[in-house]
Amino acid sequence: MKGRQLYLFGLFVALAGLFSTRPALAQDAREIKGIVVDSIGNTPLPGVTIFVKGTSNGAATTPAGEFTIRAADNAVLVVSYIGYDKIEVPVSGRSSIRIVLAQSKTMLNETVVIGYGTMKKSSVTASVTKVENTILDQVPAGRPEAALVGRLAGVNISQNRSQPGQAPTIRIRGASSIDAGNEPLVVIDGVPGGNLGMINMNDVQSIEVLKDASSAAIYGSRAAGGVIIVTMKKGSAGKTRFNFNGFAGISKARVHDDWITGQEYYDYAVKFQNREWLWANPGADVSIPVWGDARRPATYQVNPVINNGANVIWQDEVMQTAPIQSYNISASGGTEKMTYYVSGTYKDEVGTVQNTWFKSYGVRANVDVKASKNVTIGFMLNPSYSKRRLSERVVSDYAKIPSFVEGKRANGTYPRPRDYWSAVVSGQTSPAAILNGTFSYGATFSNLGEGYLKIDLAKGLSLRSSVGSAISYNNSDFFQTSYALSTFQNSGSDIVTSSINMLNENVLSYNTSFRGGHELSAIAGASYQKNRSKGSYMYAVPNSYVNETIHTLNNAVIDQTKSYTANSAWGLVSYFSRVHYGFKEKYLFSASIRTDGSSRFGPNNKWGYFPSASVAWRVKQEEFMKGITAISDLKVRGSWGVTGNFNIGDFQYLGQIKDAVYSPNNGVIKGQAQSNFENNNLGWEKTKGWDVGIELGLLKNRIQIVADYYSKRTYDLLYNVSVPSTTGFTSGLTNIGDVSNKGFEVELTTRNIVGPKFSWQTSFNVAMNKNRVEDLGGVTERITPDAQGMSWILKVGEPMFSYYGYRAIGVYKDAESLSKYPSLAGTKPGMPIYQDTNGDGSITPADKEILGNFQPKAILGMVNNFTYENFDLSIAMQASLGAKMYNYENQFYQGALLGAMRRSLVQDQWWSVSDPGNGRMPGSALSTLTRQAGSDIYIEDASFLAVRNINLGYTLPDNGILKRAGINSFRAYLSASNPFIFTKKGFHGYNPEGTTLGEISGIGSKPGYNSGSEPVNRVYAIGFNFNF
Amino acid sequence: MKRIFFSLQALAILLGAAGCHDALLNMEPESILTTTNYFRSSSEVNKAVIGIYSNLQARRMSDYVLMEAPSDNLYMSTNSPIAGAGDIDGLTVTPDNNVVAGFWESNYAGIYRANQVLLNIDKPTDYTGNAKNQFIGEAKFMRALFYFDMVRAFGAVPLVTTQISIEEARNQRRASVDDVYNLIISDLKDAVDKLPLAAAMEKGRASKGAATALLGKVYIYRKDYANAKDLLNKAANDFGYNLVPNFATMWNPATEDNSEIIFTMKYVESVNGQTLSTAFIPNGGVYNIVERGVETALPSWSLNKLYVAGDKRKANTITDLVVSPTAPNDPPVFYPYVSKFANKHLYNTSGLDIPVIRYADVLLLQAEALYNTNDKAGALTALNKVRERAFGDASHNYTAADIAAPADFLDKLLLERQLELAFEGERWFDLVRTGKFLTVMTKEERLYVPANNAAQTVTLTPQSYMAVFPVPQRQIDQYNPGVMDQNEGYKK
Repeated sequence: MKGRQLYLFGLFVALAGLFSTRPALAQDAREIKGIVVDSIGNTPLPGVTIFVKGTSNGAATTPAGEFTIRAADNAVLVVSYIGYDKIEVPVSGRSSIRIVLAQSKTMLNETVVIGYGTMKKSSVTASVTKVENTILDQVPAGRPEAALVGRLAGVNISQNRSQPGQAPTIRIRGASSIDAGNEPLVVIDGVPGGNLGMINMNDVQSIEVLKDASSAAIYGSRAAGGVIIVTMKKGSAGKTRFNFNGFAGISKARVHDDWITGQEYYDYAVKFQNREWLWANPGADVSIPVWGDARRPATYQVNPVINNGANVIWQDEVMQTAPIQSYNISASGGTEKMTYYVSGTYKDEVGTVQNTWFKSYGVRANVDVKASKNVTIGFMLNPSYSKRRLSERVVSDYAKIPSFVEGKRANGTYPRPRDYWSAVVSGQTSPAAILNGTFSYGATFSNLGEGYLKIDLAKGLSLRSSVGSAISYNNSDFFQTSYALSTFQNSGSDIVTSSINMLNENVLSYNTSFRGGHELSAIAGASYQKNRSKGSYMYAVPNSYVNETIHTLNNAVIDQTKSYTANSAWGLVSYFSRVHYGFKEKYLFSASIRTDGSSRFGPNNKWGYFPSASVAWRVKQEEFMKGITAISDLKVRGSWGVTGNFNIGDFQYLGQIKDAVYSPNNGVIKGQAQSNFENNNLGWEKTKGWDVGIELGLLKNRIQIVADYYSKRTYDLLYNVSVPSTTGFTSGLTNIGDVSNKGFEVELTTRNIVGPKFSWQTSFNVAMNKNRVEDLGGVTERITPDAQGMSWILKVGEPMFSYYGYRAIGVYKDAESLSKYPSLAGTKPGMPIYQDTNGDGSITPADKEILGNFQPKAILGMVNNFTYENFDLSIAMQASLGAKMYNYENQFYQGALLGAMRRSLVQDQWWSVSDPGNGRMPGSALSTLTRQAGSDIYIEDASFLAVRNINLGYTLPDNGILKRAGINSFRAYLSASNPFIFTKKGFHGYNPEGTTLGEISGIGSKPGYNSGSEPVNRVYAIGFNFNF
Repeated sequence: MKRIFFSLQALAILLGAAGCHDALLNMEPESILTTTNYFRSSSEVNKAVIGIYSNLQARRMSDYVLMEAPSDNLYMSTNSPIAGAGDIDGLTVTPDNNVVAGFWESNYAGIYRANQVLLNIDKPTDYTGNAKNQFIGEAKFMRALFYFDMVRAFGAVPLVTTQISIEEARNQRRASVDDVYNLIISDLKDAVDKLPLAAAMEKGRASKGAATALLGKVYIYRKDYANAKDLLNKAANDFGYNLVPNFATMWNPATEDNSEIIFTMKYVESVNGQTLSTAFIPNGGVYNIVERGVETALPSWSLNKLYVAGDKRKANTITDLVVSPTAPNDPPVFYPYVSKFANKHLYNTSGLDIPVIRYADVLLLQAEALYNTNDKAGALTALNKVRERAFGDASHNYTAADIAAPADFLDKLLLERQLELAFEGERWFDLVRTGKFLTVMTKEERLYVPANNAAQTVTLTPQSYMAVFPVPQRQIDQYNPGVMDQNEGYKK
């Protein structure tokens, strides 16, 4: 498998070679003199490299910025310098040339968007990280987030499920909330509260992440999870520019290759049944033939039919190599009075699990009009529609079917294991039947829109007033035929939800500077937001479909006890202000305050206040630093701020009365019962945090380092605290508890090689976060048990939702070892030995201990960009260290119910006293499931190193042919996503980030639990990007 | 700092957008009823009473895990494990048992609903006829039933009869067993007074007869045989209840409403069904019953072998399924399953009702009360009524000699209760209240293998402390230190 990838990679390189340029014919060369100066200060630049294009003939400027080089009259000079844009200068017969270099945008004069405004990067006093969309839109993936993986320090993007169109989990500097979500706030072109699924990466200019509490505090009440600001592309004055970007490729799932079939399978089945029999009846004589002998109970026999089956590996049967394609075309341009950007996108991703796909269509338009000298108006519209077909089941439900079961038979039926053998084996439905008989569609229409008016009131003073909306309309259609369910009952539902989010924002901005180096900018604003949502939930009575041809509910009886419609709403009123002051671009100070009032909280606590302050000192600007040339930039900064979280449901503070159905006289009546506590004091969850950072540039910024240490504490947690059930409820939503996150981040950017032909740049980032429960409101721990024995614990002093169970220290090999160690009642040889943690000589729940956590200890990202002449290569990698997965999926492949087995999961098991395995893997069967599942047997190290994307591009040289065709630039690329993923030995899952029960979403969360998340897809695509 | 906000708000008003300020902050829910606008009419109180039944209806379908699995009637299957059920089955229950905790929590949720009805009963002014008394009677009946289940399962428990705050709850100690029973008895007495006769009530709701029968049963548990006799005689004679001639009548949705049912939990297939029927069906399903079962638990051989030939109850209690071979060489599989609730139904949503108290139960309790008040002849008559119905004639009736000694009577009575009421949630509590569990539960015969002519037998070690289950640890954890103590034997 690996060999094949290397081969493919080689092929890419070979293909690339075909496109290499031919050197220009050399004419007579002569000596040319020149000077290179900075575009701003007109100061001479020393050490600039100058090459004659297409040759190895080069020179460098003197300390006075002067150079001498031999070149022909028609030659082109390539001029490059660190921190400046590389340019090409035709000699055009001149003998003396003055070359002006402009500082490149990636340098210190770069601006960043900071929420209700922009700021020079050098003036920023907080922790903000930014990524520009250079080739992000060329990463072959259905969702935009995939392109960001590994590129932003402290931003962990994990793809927990690999279904097409599935949104990943994004965590900025760890999770801190239990019941109110940890998602960052997404602000798209100034409209807060959207999601990245609404946009297309092709239309994105840049993405900024406000990481620390001080920068995020301007978004106050919703910023505790960090803020992602997306800036969309806009038009600029000039001729209309068309841009096309499209790619097409294939994706292939990264699957397991150790499934066992035939005789090997049969032999393990025999071992399994003998073990089961001996466990149930220690005196059993396993030498009795496994089949056809009545002395052996039927439940412990082995039907030879399982050895004569179809030898189907169901994992492979349900997977397919699937196409992916994406096309975007945009036009932008304008006049001095008006600029515009419009684009359209079509994307089609087929899933590697059969019968899954994702299609999306999107349009985007931005128009800005300078209506008069002082007034600018504009609007943006961004409608998009997407539809997906989903697999309702986790992939283990397909892969666990034993290999003796064949697929669809010629007569159109789908055999089940029980059709081959009426006992022992699972009664489950054929995966083919499930996949072909389940019709689960999700469709979303959304639109982001905004219109604004900007008035310049006086010099430096302007008012921007906008009305925006985010509309989304979702529809889930579900139908399942009777043959797709083990119960042979058809079922269906139709769910429509919609939400309209209206926003009015009014912001006054003021910028000024005073003599003596004082710079002041300030904003003050007010924002009003209202969200109305509506849902209609319709379900069919099971098995009530008249026929299975029509899948809509007009063909069924609607289930009156389940179906309902509901309206809801929330409102948010906000006032905010920020002041930024700089002195001689050396000492920078920023402070902001926001106050938010929300309808979601109780009458006594609707308002929350979110202040922030930050300072920065640009040390490099000091006189005493002038002499230290090795240090080209140095800034230290410190910040503090408070952010909030309001992501609970609407009206949660009210004591709600809900349906409680009962059927007196067999007439179904919706009775009523209170469903939760009333809490008039319910208020904001807040996060208070500080951050210190240093930004260092070395060797003319060839090395740039940004390092941050932060500490934040979330308090007044919106926490469904446990209460004695004598109150009528087992929990109540209150503001109680504290959770902290502390961490360290480093971003390192190095320009390793800077040459006219070859350049190599590396961006590396590492982030470590330590999550800790500080207070749970009186109790020291709270445990969420899973039915099969594992528990998740919130414990003061430990990370949130750590695994909690017994530590297995081996396997009871035989009766003798059973007597040597303490054990739970009913323990038999072959079961795991639990650590007697408290040493009291017996195994009790008190011996359970913390067994790890789903959160990684460190995440690393690295992007290497290479250019060689017209080739460019970008390799994005990501690594995650220290996360543990509760890989419950393993138990499906260990022999239980004689389902499919994986060699790596059966060969080391304890099978009998004489076949004890490796001494660590206990015998696994449903009858002993809680023994494994309640211990760390299934807890696996989910650390990984992944090459997330390789993008190899070739830009056609500007040789006149393109120009004549009207094409300004043309780039072809090969892009591969997830080509390599390395996991730890002993990790058995399909996806080291794959979990099936979500992340933290309330007190009953089981983060890190995997019962069969889909395999990661390797995607190989070829694409073209040109503009004309 | 306040000044800044004021000036900001003033600015906002200048910007002309503050009109919607209050409307945004003080929204009214459109689709949710809340405590502030509920209990305004008789009809709303009626819906709240329905809500109390709903709680028991949801719980009743899994009562067997706590009330039958620890006994010798039933053992848990390993095919569809329910967390904690195995420990209950094997008499190795620990304080962190999931099922025990769920039972505790569910009952207090039911008690809360009953308390809410009683606390808000005076709010509406539009009651007609006896409606108000009926609602009080129903709420008290249900509260008594929840507490009766609590005291039987846990012994001393906190007694809540009003709305309490979280802080009050964290400091509330357990009431004594006597106090709990005193509340149950006074609630039931009031329910007997206030509830109408069954004829005036919808099926599946409490009635005067049901309250009378339940109160009689409570007195049996208190060994207050004089009062038990009084109440059970009334229940047996005054309300027109009787044994239906055919035992199967009760286990068929078409005839489930009959003169033997005194109080039952009603279910409606597919829209408000129960999962119990499917729970006991083998994984592979049973032809003409349901396509697939969950097979959470299986009938023990200990019980199975007690049904003698001619006992018509067997057919509606356990079916000795023999799984037929799929291939010519396959051996048949002896695989009995609990068929008491097995009627043709849709998977996990059966419409068959699950009785809470029925006439046969009352007759056997009456026999117990009479025997213990020295009316052996009356006891024999009551006991034999149940037997005669089971066998269709008097051929299997007991004689006075059979029950002359109290120990013999108790054995016969418990046997009859086991055979008659198997899987209806009586067996474990019967074994406990008579102390028999200490001897009976030392072993349990499970799957019978015909070829070996023997059943697989497990050895158990019942201890006297197991007469009650442990207080759920996750509940103890919610109390202020030292407030909620653990039952003896479960302390670590």
